[in-house]
Amino acid sequence: MTNPVRIRRISPWLAASVVVSLVVVVPVGVVVASVFRDSHGAWAHLVETRLADYAVNTLILAVAVGALALALGVPTAWVVTMYRFPASRVLAWGLMLPLAMPAYVAAYALTDMFQFSGPVQTWLRHATGLEAGAYWFPEVRSMSGAIIVLGFALYPYVYFAARTAFLGQSRSAFEASRTLGRGPTRTFVTLAIPQARPYLVAAAMLVLMETVSDFGAVDYCAVDTFATGIYRTWFGLDSQNAAAQLSSVLLVCVCVLIAVERGSRRHKVFHHTTARCSASPVARLGPAAGLATSVACCMPIVIGFVLPASRLAYLAWQHGDQRAFELFADHAARTFLLAAVSGVGAVALAVVVVYAWRLHRGTVARLIVDVCRSGYALPGPIVAIGVVVALGWVDHRVHGFATWASDGAVTPGLIFTGSALALLIGYQTRFLAIALAFVEGGFARVHRHLDDAARTLGAKPARVLVRLHVPALRSSLIAAGLLVFVDVVKELPATLMLRPFNFDTLAVRVYQLATDERLHEASTGALAIVAVGILPVAILSRQVESSRLRVAEVPA
Amino acid sequence: MTRADPTRAQQGGLRIERLSFGYAGGRPVIRDLNLEVRAGQVHCVLGPSGCGKTTLLRLVAGLERLDRGAIAIGGRTVADERLHTPPERRSVGMVFQDHALFPNLSVRKNVLFGMRRHRRSTRRAAAEQLLEQVGMAPFADRMPHTLSGGQQQRVALARALASDPSVMLLDEPFSNLDAELRADLRRGLLAVLRRANVATLMVTHDPAEADAVADQVTWLGPSPVKTESRVDPRPAHTDTVVHAPQTRATGSQA
Repeated sequence: MTNPVRIRRISPWLAASVVVSLVVVVPVGVVVASVFRDSHGAWAHLVETRLADYAVNTLILAVAVGALALALGVPTAWVVTMYRFPASRVLAWGLMLPLAMPAYVAAYALTDMFQFSGPVQTWLRHATGLEAGAYWFPEVRSMSGAIIVLGFALYPYVYFAARTAFLGQSRSAFEASRTLGRGPTRTFVTLAIPQARPYLVAAAMLVLMETVSDFGAVDYCAVDTFATGIYRTWFGLDSQNAAAQLSSVLLVCVCVLIAVERGSRRHKVFHHTTARCSASPVARLGPAAGLATSVACCMPIVIGFVLPASRLAYLAWQHGDQRAFELFADHAARTFLLAAVSGVGAVALAVVVVYAWRLHRGTVARLIVDVCRSGYALPGPIVAIGVVVALGWVDHRVHGFATWASDGAVTPGLIFTGSALALLIGYQTRFLAIALAFVEGGFARVHRHLDDAARTLGAKPARVLVRLHVPALRSSLIAAGLLVFVDVVKELPATLMLRPFNFDTLAVRVYQLATDERLHEASTGALAIVAVGILPVAILSRQVESSRLRVAEVPA
Repeated sequence: MTRADPTRAQQGGLRIERLSFGYAGGRPVIRDLNLEVRAGQVHCVLGPSGCGKTTLLRLVAGLERLDRGAIAIGGRTVADERLHTPPERRSVGMVFQDHALFPNLSVRKNVLFGMRRHRRSTRRAAAEQLLEQVGMAPFADRMPHTLSGGQQQRVALARALASDPSVMLLDEPFSNLDAELRADLRRGLLAVLRRANVATLMVTHDPAEADAVADQVTWLGPSPVKTESRVDPRPAHTDTVVHAPQTRATGSQA
């Protein structure tokens, strides 16, 4: 018998996925490395003046928004899942709608509505005859305003997770609890919540990450957090190094959040022993209780979506973008092109990473998947600064080499830093994780025996992927691409910091008009962003419904 | 733990009178059903799937509201056209078809879940005793998903008994189990139920199973309801005759 020959060769799939992971590794590495660089006194200045404010504000904001999101998301998910009441089916879907409303857009619209010259206060003065200054009225552009805006914009993450968890829980277990002497509320508190905890912790962490990385809303509400601080340090104080150092502080916070989330997931995942989940009919509420529940469930949708969206629609109808045809069309086309390229790119990269993991298993492949997935936790400003510094380094090397090689005849200057490429890379850093989640979910549903069968029939990995997986995964790939597309359209801070000169997207234009107090002009672009944002709501709602089916299929 | 209780035996465990029910928008699932189960008796409801067997148990447990008729437990009316006592106040124990163990609680905590009255140490001792009875004491600290189907069934039974119910409802308790285990569990289950002296209403689609465990059998299905008292042993329990004119089959429930 011949000895088996061990061939050691680097797999092209694994090598490619290592390259892909650089889009996350390099920006993070740059930010971490900045700690050791000199910022010429800017950092010391920050520590003396602003750092404590940034930290306190970020902390208050994160805790309050997290609490508000849980308070809005969990009870609504519970009643919608467990009871039938007027419009409960519509509400189950509608409660996701605020996801379509980026926090900064909601902040603009609500400010316009409730500010001194807005319709609400004008009506109030008219109705009561009060003079200006004679009454107190809550201010949207404040810390509490930012908390409300972000809480109502981000609670759908909690709602989505809680609903998925509750749908996956065994309804007969709740009924068993009732027959064992615990009423509906006690059952909710002692059984449903503890079982849903891993989902709720994960969702709350996501809300906190979104909160600490939010730029548009807190900037508009004049709350100084790390995110606005990074922007200001970079462009105001003109110190990239200090901005990067500030980013590394934020990065530590994010890492803590990730660790908490991972830890809670590892220790508390419950395995259901039951199969029948929602097969049995849900309880019907009486007319009075039903109506009250309906109204209560409408409230988050009204504040988080209906009010701002209708205000934007009104403004767009009344005034709109005065330069709609020359500028708006231009911005929209550019934005959608950028988003489409990013969507397709993210899906392709995600397929490479996941397929490498499927082919090779192993620690390296797993690590790469984990690294790429953590990109979503990186706040936009951190991504921006990481990408710019890294590309700047490359630019300088290229410039130096070209100048040296051509004896000074060719001086390319900064090729990448000021180009759309920086934007495209930044989007991958941030949104690759979304594509990854969907692609992984899709691959998990294709049984590995199919791969094995195809391989024994002589197909190479690439052929298996193209002939077998891509057709099977089509809906997952499309969903992944669409979600990335929408997130790119909505993304503000990374775009604002990475875009080339004269290269504005819809989000940037809306931001600029809004900060110039030209809200009525910003309305057209904002409305377009919201309209696009409804797409993922539909996709995610469908996913919840299908998760209900999947859970029901699991054998006992 | 429940002990033989003479007053309860006299009161009669479960009484169902002219019970009718249909899911909203559907045809009636149960029509004019009469049925009585005394303490210590096992009453089997037999019928094809979709004939309303599980619905009957859910009505008795209070998980559904009846349309017409009345249900009395331990001599007290818990449901009629105007009254609906919620499940947590009915003193029923239910063993679900899928056992419905709480996945986040250990076996012991599952059993402790329904015990609320006595002192902590008393409760723990009672839970221990129940687990002993169903032969699950060695598994008290395990999580439900690590148990086999038969073991889960026994934990579910212990949990249902722990709240000291007047009526025990069993929904196809032996489905999904293999034949040998089934016979084994059946014997154990009956022994435990008789000792607890509860009125047991059990649902099954398997005539052989009904035959093996029941004092009385009610046929619930497309043809008129037939109730037959078994001829054999326990003379004290066989004097009840139950009449129910008609039930109709629908496919509206599992």
